[in-house]
Amino acid sequence: MSLLCASPGQAPPSSRSIDKTAEPSPSPPSRAPTPPAAQLEIANKLTTASALLWDPKFTSRPPPGKLPPTHAGTLSVANRTDSSISVRNLGGGQTIPVMDNRRHPSSFQQLEKLGEGTYATVFKGRNRQTGELVALKEIHLDSEEGTPSTAIREISLMKELKHENIVLLHDVIHTENKLMLVFEFMDKDLKRYMDSRGDRGALDPPTIKSFMYQLLRGIAFCHDNRVLHRDLKPQNLLINNRGQLKLADFGLARAFGIPVNTFSNEVVTLWYRAPDVLLGSRTYNTSIDIWSAGCIMAEMYTGRPLFPGTTNEDQLQKIFRLMGTPSERSWPGISQLPEYKGNFPVYATQDLRLILPQVDQVGLNLLNSMLQLRPEMRVTAPQALNHPWFNDLPARQQHNAMAAAQAQPLPAQMGGYQVPQGAY
Amino acid sequence: MQPSPLANPLATVQQLQTSASQLDGIPADLEDSIRFAGARLTQAVGILLRLPQEIIAQAIIVFMRFLVGPEGGSLARHGAEDVSMGAMYLATKLSAWPKSARSVINVYAYLNTFAPTFIDAEELGKKQNAEDYYVSEGTFQIRRGKLFEMEQVILKTVGFQLQVSLPYSLCITYLQALDIFAHPRASELANRANAHLNTALLSPQLLYLTHQPPTLAAAAIYLAAKEVAIKLPDVEWWEVFDTDREELGFLVVGLLSVESFAVEERSRWEGMRVPMAVDELDEEIKRRAAADGEE
Repeated sequence: MSLLCASPGQAPPSSRSIDKTAEPSPSPPSRAPTPPAAQLEIANKLTTASALLWDPKFTSRPPPGKLPPTHAGTLSVANRTDSSISVRNLGGGQTIPVMDNRRHPSSFQQLEKLGEGTYATVFKGRNRQTGELVALKEIHLDSEEGTPSTAIREISLMKELKHENIVLLHDVIHTENKLMLVFEFMDKDLKRYMDSRGDRGALDPPTIKSFMYQLLRGIAFCHDNRVLHRDLKPQNLLINNRGQLKLADFGLARAFGIPVNTFSNEVVTLWYRAPDVLLGSRTYNTSIDIWSAGCIMAEMYTGRPLFPGTTNEDQLQKIFRLMGTPSERSWPGISQLPEYKGNFPVYATQDLRLILPQVDQVGLNLLNSMLQLRPEMRVTAPQALNHPWFNDLPARQQHNAMAAAQAQPLPAQMGGYQVPQGAY
Repeated sequence: MQPSPLANPLATVQQLQTSASQLDGIPADLEDSIRFAGARLTQAVGILLRLPQEIIAQAIIVFMRFLVGPEGGSLARHGAEDVSMGAMYLATKLSAWPKSARSVINVYAYLNTFAPTFIDAEELGKKQNAEDYYVSEGTFQIRRGKLFEMEQVILKTVGFQLQVSLPYSLCITYLQALDIFAHPRASELANRANAHLNTALLSPQLLYLTHQPPTLAAAAIYLAAKEVAIKLPDVEWWEVFDTDREELGFLVVGLLSVESFAVEERSRWEGMRVPMAVDELDEEIKRRAAADGEE
């Protein structure tokens, strides 16, 4: 209720105009120590929103009892203490690391707007104490829905995914009517990077190889932690000026477990959507992220989306024109999928070499294994990371050496309890 | 090593020892009563909203997580009905069965018209006076504001930890692994085991916050098999499902004790209402204090 209940003495300026029409408030709920008389006088002249709302003149409803504001103020208010998420220790003895304590939320300076999405606005921000740049994702609370489910999913998944190829969620700040996510700052998304760096959008092969490796590592980490991203596209891959690539925007992501529920098929921007999803499958799995990764790889070479479909059907046709029209023989069970039609135009499989002459032979092999129509035939992220195409990548030798060290515990969730993977 | 995705966060010993409600002066037995009533209310609302049991269970577990431990939510500040509503709304929102704030608020208003907490099943079937549970547009706006506020408080308190792993499907998988389904009365056993898993949600021992899904499933199977007299393999089969004998014993006793707890609660609150709102709770505590004074 603190939405309606500004605490006494903190009445917003706008309430002064209300003041003229309203009687002085009938003692707003307050547990504060008695202020000096002079101050009290002023306080009596102020009308709070709650005093107006619960004025006996207007309602027979009793005023709410003790309702200290749970979160007050905005980013600009100094000495806020109520903002950081308390990741409580539900960890069965293992400590869940409390989210990074560096930032005191008050100390973020809001800089220019970076972008606007359907449910959030992203600003560049600066930590006043450390000077560190951050991205502030301001989530508008929906008047119909409350906290958007996308935001809840994003936070609950991202706070558990700590990996160098996944954008880091520093903190979550609650304010009265919005939620602010503090992410590490990244310079550009891949789309803009390609536009600014590439030759007509195309990138050079060493950069592509490095980005693909990082992309697959991020995906592998998600899948390892049973998270499907479900919306991989160049706009959701962020690049910083050290050439690091990180996955972002987990608003459509979801956790998967045993059993795999059927999922909504309203996922992934059309161009990067896997054929099985386009055909209406609701039992998709990690392979849908691999398809998207394949599309992104091709796009980095050409600067243009590989399958820029306009509708669901057009998207399928564009895919079939290149990869061949599947049949019950090449894909057993396909005719059972809801969107399958017997009259799809029949195309032969094209040789990727002719369409993507820029890509070397080994790279084409990897690309082909990611762009398999049948989800079961697609490579997994760990398999793709072991592909010979990455053999000459210095990063891979390093990562292999660090592999042991990488097997770190997942920060949140619980500890001390392991279910042997083979048990089911 | 990564924790299993099938695992849930568990409450620590400290969190089980004390709660924010107790720190606010609410006696532990009253807290147990309110938690029990809150879990039952959540279950009832879930049924009326026609939700799958998985979603209802998730709502109950979030409700329990919110109230556990000294840093948890206190019943002195958040009424159990509001917490239940917030947890239910959150659970449905993240599921494939989202429910509008309107539906959720209506169902709580409807159940609120049954005055005593423990009523007979026949009572539920009786037609209520529609005026009693009609939620006007104005009241709806206020309650929705309150619901959204509660939602934020829950998210903040549980640290967005809404993911819940449940033992229901594990239980079926285990029964398959134990080769039970060849038995003619296998479904009786499965139903009984499921019933125990539902019962465990209401346990004052917060079994879902102290034990992992595989252990809960193994204990439910063990107990159900005893009850319906189906012989399970003559070995320590629960070991295969990551459960040791001691845990199994603890859970079986815990599951069995819920019944007597429920009977006790029922007789204790006969014809009365468990305080599900902050003001009702204040009155109950005053009433108790007065009763103590007379003695």
